[in-house]
Amino acid sequence: MILSELTVSAADFETRTGWAAKPEGLCKGDICVPAPEAALDDGRLDITSVADKLAMPLVHDTATDTYALGPEGLGHSLTTAVAPNLVLPNANDDDNPFLLSSLHGRKVLLVAWASW
Amino acid sequence: MSLPGWQALHAELESQGVSVVTVALDIDPNKARPWIEAASPTHPSLIDTAHVTNELFGFNNVPMAVWIDESGTLVRPAESASIEARDTDAPIPDGLPERVQELIGEARKIPDIGAQYRGAIMDWVANGAKSEFALSPAEVVEASHPRDKNNAEAAANFELGQHLFTTVGKHAAVPFWRAAHALDPANWTYKRQAWTIETTPEGEPSDMMQPPTETYEGNWLDDVRAAGGGENYVTKPAFLTQETP
Repeated sequence: MILSELTVSAADFETRTGWAAKPEGLCKGDICVPAPEAALDDGRLDITSVADKLAMPLVHDTATDTYALGPEGLGHSLTTAVAPNLVLPNANDDDNPFLLSSLHGRKVLLVAWASW
Repeated sequence: MSLPGWQALHAELESQGVSVVTVALDIDPNKARPWIEAASPTHPSLIDTAHVTNELFGFNNVPMAVWIDESGTLVRPAESASIEARDTDAPIPDGLPERVQELIGEARKIPDIGAQYRGAIMDWVANGAKSEFALSPAEVVEASHPRDKNNAEAAANFELGQHLFTTVGKHAAVPFWRAAHALDPANWTYKRQAWTIETTPEGEPSDMMQPPTETYEGNWLDDVRAAGGGENYVTKPAFLTQETP
């Protein structure tokens, strides 16, 4: 996740990473990690604390003062079998981003490809 | 490119409660769009410029897929996905440069999983959670790719490079992409994306050969060989690695 400062709105963080800020901590699917220092009082999260609790690496580019927060390094690429609500642009519908949740109730085959 | 095949599968299964969603891991959306337009898809055709599906699902090569059931639960983790047989027996044309011949030879060793993988999909469509190919939540997590500190750091380096490529220029991206390659050498999306950008002339389609460059230590042919050859290039679904009785 690209960041220009070391706080982020909890909503943006959830959209990008699948981790939601809840009273019990940072949660993805059925997994919750207590992180009492992570939640700031204005609906934002303290990235340094989040990075520590979820083993997310933080990489910095000094020239542009830009950060990239990596995914959780908790052992597997999937922390839970509950699919995150993927949000991405849809080439078939330039006006509306695709939300994986829109296909709830259907089986989904999510297939990655590339031009290269 | 397999997009027409996936579109055909979507059309075939749509009335049975199944949706195919394809996602292009392409930093430049304009590289992906001609392929999408040619396939005339009616299924959602996503463009993932930052490779976020790599982070969220574990797509570390293409083509790969995950299966998600009606409740939004993954029943198969990221693994190589193909539904069409490949012609690996046709003779390699004479007169090709030696390196290209070697590359084609290595690519032909990539296991052809199309028939079995399609059969597994059809079994899941028919039998749902009772299908032997639908894994439990615990099995899905356990079977997903390992992700240690280095793998996670590679993802952050790749995304920072992608951001800088778009906002500053290629020279700003290269150090972070080199770091990503070193931290997670088994991740092909980080490498192939960067190699392609390095060797594709401006305005040309993507360079599938991905030859050696002065910018990166690796290239497709040498890295595939170093990883054990085309046979080991894909993440074969576990049901294909078991001996058939």
